[in-house]
Amino acid sequence: MAASLPSLAIPGQRLGPASSYSAGPGTHVQQSSIYASIAGPVCLDPAQPKIQAKATLRVSRVATSKYQTRNPQAGAVAAAQPKPRYNTLPAVDSIVLARVTRVQKRQVAVSILVVLDDTPSVGADPSRTASDNDNVASILTSAANPENHSNTDELRFQALIRKEDVRAVEKDRVVMDDMFRVGDIVRGSVISLGDQSFYYITTARNDLGVVMARSEAGNMMFPVSWKEMRDPLTGVGEPRKVARPF
Amino acid sequence: MTDRRRINGPPGGTRPAVYASLLQSATGAADRAQRQRQPTDLRKIFLKTGLIPSASGSSYLEFEPSASLAAARANPKSLIPPSSALKLACTVHGPKPLPRSATFSPNLVLTTHVKYAPFAARRRKGHIRDASERDLGVHLETALRGAIIAERWPKSGLDITLTIIEAEDDRWWGDAPDSHDASWGMMNVLAGCITAASAALADAHIDCLDLVSGGVAALVSEDMTGSSGPPRLVLDTDPAEHRSIVSACVVAYMPARDEITELWLKGDSSKAALEDDDKRPGHEALIDGAVDAARGAHTVLGQAVRESIARTVGSA
Repeated sequence: MAASLPSLAIPGQRLGPASSYSAGPGTHVQQSSIYASIAGPVCLDPAQPKIQAKATLRVSRVATSKYQTRNPQAGAVAAAQPKPRYNTLPAVDSIVLARVTRVQKRQVAVSILVVLDDTPSVGADPSRTASDNDNVASILTSAANPENHSNTDELRFQALIRKEDVRAVEKDRVVMDDMFRVGDIVRGSVISLGDQSFYYITTARNDLGVVMARSEAGNMMFPVSWKEMRDPLTGVGEPRKVARPF
Repeated sequence: MTDRRRINGPPGGTRPAVYASLLQSATGAADRAQRQRQPTDLRKIFLKTGLIPSASGSSYLEFEPSASLAAARANPKSLIPPSSALKLACTVHGPKPLPRSATFSPNLVLTTHVKYAPFAARRRKGHIRDASERDLGVHLETALRGAIIAERWPKSGLDITLTIIEAEDDRWWGDAPDSHDASWGMMNVLAGCITAASAALADAHIDCLDLVSGGVAALVSEDMTGSSGPPRLVLDTDPAEHRSIVSACVVAYMPARDEITELWLKGDSSKAALEDDDKRPGHEALIDGAVDAARGAHTVLGQAVRESIARTVGSA
């Protein structure tokens, strides 16, 4: 059954019957068959006994060097390496990196730089997410990152962090100026697609918040606590809503 | 609207002028392009994706030049090439956020721009899109809208830009415009646009129901004397190769679902010389022919997309 799956699919290619697989990302169902809707390597996520009965069939957007050969007879499942992703749109619950563009009393406007591809579902090993965080700087600056080709904020998706979404405790005592500054890089989680112009992002988790910031002197700062970052050269601390470093 | 902001080239032709009397001479008459292919033979298509690195998806498409062009190049009798072959480039930008003024859209907002390069046709085109270019853009948009799964891309816009580098002729260049005449070349251009845009969409990883491909069929009356019999059905017509096209049809077709997303039929299709046992009305035969041509283009399209994905997987 799995042996009949093609390794690469093009849009409109029939992948399998909907009775034996469930349709994952990059596929669609028509007349009880699963068809590919993007071009890419075909992946088969094994069924999880409790949650879903059928294996999920998906077409990957990620170009991997050795995409997993999903042929059980072939054995050796090659380790998938995350590579430049294409056109990931922010969705609810996706983790994004964003740059602060404006700080106001009640909200902070940010522009989304990159949507981190954390497939939380199956086989998401913790090292994968950690490696994303290690490479934050390289993701943000690499020319291979398609999101970087749109350089102005107008071409990026805009988002808001409202005052009550900054942290989980003492929500009413939040002072936005002590949480973010313009130019900070923030890791956040999308909570809503929002209105016509803004997504809504929350940083109310330990691992969310400012990941990169420059001090007033212009130096890169390092985090010292959940609410302070310090300049290594001048030694001056500045308040921030800091994300837990990994 | 006139374009006053640029220094435009001289209006009129992009090719040297030739006296009409020269066309009547023996040498000139030999230059007329003749179809060498069978009525059901399609031209070869060159299609490649991912040529424009700054776009999220791109493609380049070229039709095989007709045999007469190769002959004319080998043994030039005139400065003017007897026919032209379609060349076009397609870029896809996005998905990107909608402008601030736009209202909320749960779907992908598609915009298509088709632009002829000023030198693309025998008649020079301006820098501003004219009515026929806007018309092609609307046709292309309908063709693609039926194929794209728009609800997967909320709040985002997608810009598809096609630049036509070399357009098809509407008729043989030496022929005077007459009443039969319509912009037949535009239909070939649209078919090429659909195929190229589909490849660029696949390159940009936009969710589509199928690779939608374009195909053209036409009813042509070939008679030299003018007393024409019923017109024959010909697939993938090059208008420069025929004396008179009676009717033509372009479709955007999705083979996996057997669906047509765009249909454009022009001219009088009531009379058609089909096989004796073929009882189809003319327009149906015409549409079926265009679908067959689209199926042919789809094989090229599928292979080009396969190659592009194999390239990214291999190089990653």
